[in-house]
Amino acid sequence: MSYKYTLELLTVIAIVAFCALFIYTSSTMSDAEFAGSDNVGSGLVAQLSGTPLENFQPLIPQWEPSSGEIESCLFALQAAVGGILVGGVFGYWTGQKKKA
Amino acid sequence: MHIMEGFLPWQWCVVWWIVALPCLMLGIYQLKKVLAADREALPLLGVTGGFIFILSSLKLPSVTGSCSHPTGTGLSTISFGPWITAVVCAIVLLFQSLFLAHGGLSVLGANIVSMGIVGPLVGYGVYRLLRDTSVNIYITVFLVTALADMFTYVTTSLELALAYPAETGGFVSSFILFMGIFAVTQIPLAIVEGIVLALVFKYIIALKPDILIRLKIFSEEKINAARSDI
Repeated sequence: MSYKYTLELLTVIAIVAFCALFIYTSSTMSDAEFAGSDNVGSGLVAQLSGTPLENFQPLIPQWEPSSGEIESCLFALQAAVGGILVGGVFGYWTGQKKKA
Repeated sequence: MHIMEGFLPWQWCVVWWIVALPCLMLGIYQLKKVLAADREALPLLGVTGGFIFILSSLKLPSVTGSCSHPTGTGLSTISFGPWITAVVCAIVLLFQSLFLAHGGLSVLGANIVSMGIVGPLVGYGVYRLLRDTSVNIYITVFLVTALADMFTYVTTSLELALAYPAETGGFVSSFILFMGIFAVTQIPLAIVEGIVLALVFKYIIALKPDILIRLKIFSEEKINAARSDI
């Protein structure tokens, strides 16, 4: 039996299982809002410290994206930088291998 | 795993910056040394750093009903160690602090310690433990990646629990509560990240095995054994 594509197969199974888990969770948990764990953690900080969430102010002022769309765009930009790096290097290595 | 700006008392911000800064300086020194010794390490740094950029931008839903993101630090940890990984993570976290309001400059030290230092240090420990054993390379990459990811979130929980101990139960009770939010959410993500990065490592081995041997990441025998597996 060939194990050539075992890792590829495992990756597909893991991703499908991950998606199935999400579908199951979202259908069974009525209070699941799928907010970021950072925000949920901040909520717990407010609860533990007995300080209302709005009283937590930045120690160093920071710029915030003016809308969720702009935030998504900037996250996509971050992923794109990574994608260009990975794609560029894999392309470079493939070219080197072909040349050799 | 980001601690948001303003959510950590300034004293703790200073503590975590004091921990992070020497590690970053060591990382910059090591990075210069590695690149001066072998310029071919630069593309590998590009790939491993690229995955930190990609994976840490993906917010994925998890079993706890909230979303979190993988860290992508496993490949960099294996290839370049925890200190250089800390430098790459600092760049990513600085971008997110300045442009996405995820994290912040005062809490950057704490976020670097969790994502760039402790997570990769745990992963590196696992790598060093398994590197010279008969354990399959891909299992090693999976374990390093998944554990580096998990311990990033365990560290975030620790940082917050130290700053905000619960009235009843103190630090331990608070730590368990934060772990419930950060670490449990992360378990399925860490498993998937481990499998995906093991697959990526397979392609690095297929395309550029010589750089892995030259940088002494794995022995030639192990690399050749892994190549015959694929």
